[in-house]
Amino acid sequence: MAVSRLPPAALSLKQFLQRQKVLCLYRDLQRTIRRVPHESDRKYLRDWARDEFRRNKSNTDQDAIRMMISQAHNHLEELRRSLALAGC
Amino acid sequence: MASRALAQCVRSLARASARLNEGRTACVLLAAAQRPLSSWTCNQRTSRTELLRIPSPSVHLCRHYSDAPPLTLDDIQERVLYVLKLYDKINPDVLKSTSHFMKDLGLDSLDQVEIIMAMEDEFGFEIPDGDGEKLMTPEEIVTYIADKKDVYE
Repeated sequence: MAVSRLPPAALSLKQFLQRQKVLCLYRDLQRTIRRVPHESDRKYLRDWARDEFRRNKSNTDQDAIRMMISQAHNHLEELRRSLALAGC
Repeated sequence: MASRALAQCVRSLARASARLNEGRTACVLLAAAQRPLSSWTCNQRTSRTELLRIPSPSVHLCRHYSDAPPLTLDDIQERVLYVLKLYDKINPDVLKSTSHFMKDLGLDSLDQVEIIMAMEDEFGFEIPDGDGEKLMTPEEIVTYIADKKDVYE
C-alpha cells in the first residue's frame, strides 16, 4: 500500500527548480534582446536563442543542464555589457 | 496789407510742409539702405500689435490632449487573437478563445514565454514573471490585461 500518489511524469524538486531557472533565463534573454537597436540583429539574436534552447530541450542530465545554464548566463551577461557600452 | 501778410504766411506753411515730407522720405531711404533688418523688425512689431489688438471676449482658449483610444474587452480580445494568429507555431484554424497553449495548441513553455513577450510588445506594459507563467489561455490573457488597464465592459 506504499504506492506513490504522484503521477509518473511529475518532476522532482531539483528538476522543477532547474526548469524554472531555464524559463527565467530565457525570459531575461528575450527582454535583453529587445533592447538591441537594429531589427535585423534583434531577429538574428532571437532566432539564435530560440534554436539554442530548443536544441537542448530533451536533455535530462542534471550536470549538463547546470553547465548549459551557466553558459547561457555568461552569454546574457556578455550581451548586457555590450549594450551598456553601446549606450542602449 | 492784410491780404499780403496772409499770402506770405500760406506760402511759408507750404514750403515747410514740403521740407518735412522730403526729410521723411530721406530718413526712410537711409534706414532701408543702412539697416535691412529694421524694416523686418517693424513688420514684426506691427504684426505683434495686430495680434494684440484682438478683442478679448472673442478669444477662445482650447487645448488638445492626445491619448490612446479607450479599450474594451472586445478590442483586447481581438488584438490578443490577432497576435496569436501571427505566431508561426499556432494554427489559426484551431485557435479559439478558450484554447489551452499546451493541451490544445501543442506549444511548450518556451513558446508560452515568447507569447507573453509578444503581448507585452502589443499592449505596451510589462507583465511580471510570476503572472506571465500563469497565463495559459487567450481568455486568461484578456482578463489579465483588462484588470491591468482597468477595463470592465
